[in-house]
Amino acid sequence: MTFHSIIKPTAIAALLGSSMIAAPALAQDDYPSRSVEVVHQYGPGGGTDRFVRAVAQPFEEITGESMVSISVQGGGGIPAVVNFTQRPADGHSLMAISPAQIIAHVQGRIDMADFKPLARVQYDQALIWVPADSEFETIDQFVQHAKDNPGDLKIALSGAAGFDEITVGLFGLEADAEFVTVPFSSSEMVSNTLGGQVDAMFEEYGPARGLYDSGDMRPLVVFSEERLPVLEDVPTATEKGWDVTLGRWRAFAMQAEDSEENAEALYADIEEAVAAESYKKFEEQNALQYRSELLGPDEFQTFIEGEIETYTTVLRELGYIE
Amino acid sequence: MAEYLDALTYIVSSPTNLFFIVFSVIWGIAFGSVPGLTGIVGVALLIPFTYAFESEQSLLLLGGVYVGATFGGSISAILFNTPGSPEAACTALDGYPMAKRGEAGKALGIALASSAIGGIFGTLVLMLLAPPMAQLALEFGPPEYFALAVLGISAIASIGGGSVLKGLTAGLIGLGIATVGLDPITGMGRYTFGNNMLLTGISFVPVIIGTFALAEVLTRVGEGNKSSTAITDVSTKLPSRKEMKDSTGTLARSSVIGAIIGALPGVGATTASFISYSEAVRWSRHPEKFGTGVPEGIAAPESANNSAVGGSMIPLLALGIPGSATTAVMLGGLTVHGIIPGPLLMEQNTRLVYSVFIAMMLANVLMLAFGVRAARYFALILTVPYAYVGPAIIVMCMTGVYGLNGNMVDIGVMLAFGVVGVLLRVMKYPVASFIIGLVLGPIAEKSLRQGLMIADHSYLEFAARPITATLLLLSLASLLYGFYGQYKLARDRRKDGPLADTAD
Repeated sequence: MTFHSIIKPTAIAALLGSSMIAAPALAQDDYPSRSVEVVHQYGPGGGTDRFVRAVAQPFEEITGESMVSISVQGGGGIPAVVNFTQRPADGHSLMAISPAQIIAHVQGRIDMADFKPLARVQYDQALIWVPADSEFETIDQFVQHAKDNPGDLKIALSGAAGFDEITVGLFGLEADAEFVTVPFSSSEMVSNTLGGQVDAMFEEYGPARGLYDSGDMRPLVVFSEERLPVLEDVPTATEKGWDVTLGRWRAFAMQAEDSEENAEALYADIEEAVAAESYKKFEEQNALQYRSELLGPDEFQTFIEGEIETYTTVLRELGYIE
Repeated sequence: MAEYLDALTYIVSSPTNLFFIVFSVIWGIAFGSVPGLTGIVGVALLIPFTYAFESEQSLLLLGGVYVGATFGGSISAILFNTPGSPEAACTALDGYPMAKRGEAGKALGIALASSAIGGIFGTLVLMLLAPPMAQLALEFGPPEYFALAVLGISAIASIGGGSVLKGLTAGLIGLGIATVGLDPITGMGRYTFGNNMLLTGISFVPVIIGTFALAEVLTRVGEGNKSSTAITDVSTKLPSRKEMKDSTGTLARSSVIGAIIGALPGVGATTASFISYSEAVRWSRHPEKFGTGVPEGIAAPESANNSAVGGSMIPLLALGIPGSATTAVMLGGLTVHGIIPGPLLMEQNTRLVYSVFIAMMLANVLMLAFGVRAARYFALILTVPYAYVGPAIIVMCMTGVYGLNGNMVDIGVMLAFGVVGVLLRVMKYPVASFIIGLVLGPIAEKSLRQGLMIADHSYLEFAARPITATLLLLSLASLLYGFYGQYKLARDRRKDGPLADTAD
């Protein structure tokens, strides 16, 4: 039994795609004509799964067709991309993409050219959190300690060699301080930080909000262009002179071979769904409203190009790539 | 008390609530018992449905599914050697041999009674001890996880059915296979031979389906038509009071292990069932009989995995951290209802929390009633000739394994491990040791490396923690004792003369 390497399915998908390209034009008025499946690499109940489900709810009311979240986990997201590219490019298979794909592209594991950018919906911002009984009250104290004691501070984050590690790595470079990053699953990350096994953790505001409300965790710095209105006392890294604004974004992509007409039609539906009240409520609950600006196919394409450039520089600085 | 009354009134006041609890248990048992459809899938499918209801109702529903699914897996594990869900894999080790002996009804009865006892124990711990248990869970850092995994792994030598060498070999193969895939710390591929699809690693579910279900079908087909191996007695009999009494120690120990491991984030029912199985072997007066169909071999994993259900709700409700994959899905469902997960969840949503307590209690009792029934329907399949059942099992396994993650590699893994399973059996290597190595190996590896990073790579600092040191010393003592037992056995045999050796 042989299994396709990741290049081959792309070629197959390209073949399939070219034979299908004529089909969607016929069914223009009727698109989407069945449920739209959204492949992603994360587990059910995670941020991406909830993102797809939150868009799906108004999407169904608007189009009359359902949107289904398909979770293909593991393997650093490669199996999810392979699963996606092996599907027919008839506009009914999407992929929920994030910085993870950009990172995999920069590392040469996948090719962003396989995707047709459709809509960037969310743009999150992460923070460094310390437990309530931590000796550190400000980010300056935290960074100073790391400068005086290189490698003494341990920061928990979720996932190995992914977005979290790269952002914290860049923070270390910018602040000229050495941190040890310890990858965990997201729940173990929280329990190890609360239990004092590590000094701090890296997490977005939404998931950590409950711990902030109860006073169990304290944010030290936010990685964004501007301070969060809900956390006015928490400085941004930029203010401190560290240029770290990388954020996790969540977006939809179609297959590269999908037709422009379908892309336009689907973008209009998504635009409407994202403006729906139920989605706005979800956005607010998850504290995603601060810099989540909806980007359409063209702007999103430009954004992706910028991201590839940024991550190439960062990954090179951190020594992940040559 | 007032909270319980309020929650009870809430549940009883609406027929929808009661219907949800009944429905969810049945739904859970169904999803648990079909390979590939796990409790996680069962819960995930219901999430969109819960949007329309109150948050209390949605959690009643999801809690009931979780309870039912954890038991459901044991039905197919016992009757067809096909664990319906990962946490039931351990149950097949002794459940299926007992069923093959013609005591399927007894095996199912033990599984059901142990599940209910473990489930009720876990729920009681959740109701009475959630905050202190959550604090205890926070004491568990990577070194403690490592020591726990080592404790479980240290039993692999004793499971060999008498042969330390075979037990160790099988266990080490399991540990080795667990290293395929992404490195948990650096994110680099290991042993993938350039195939990016193998970055997922050798996943646990395809391996257990292969080594248990597929290997069983292959073996049965190889044996030809022997009616003697047909499972005949399938009327589920709950064990008598005396039989339960014999297993009291096992049930108590496993339920406690289950609740504690369940409460730890990142590990859940599957780990709990294997560690309690290891402990059952270790504490048994006849460890060599495990794997041949002993009641404790069913009671231990089933009470532990159901107790872990209550346990894994502890960090979810007390801290807002999901203790398992299923509770992570539940948490996602709760946030849709505007509930912010965190330490304040219990205070701010009293009725929600207490309704779940009551619902899970009810679900465990209902499980006893429906379990007997579900097992009876499943048993009807056994009246069909194996020539039809065998191929049907293979088809189910294939679709189930593929459906789980949409990854073709998983099918390949399943097929390959079907052959491995047959080989292990023919050469009399204990499958249990192999699977324990596979389940606990990744936990041990990951937590050892995380722990060393935190301890600045000082082994002393890593091990010099009360819980870690105690667990590691226990493992060491147990290993030494095991080797001493082997040595004594060999010496006694030598004394008895060479003839005794051949008796095996």
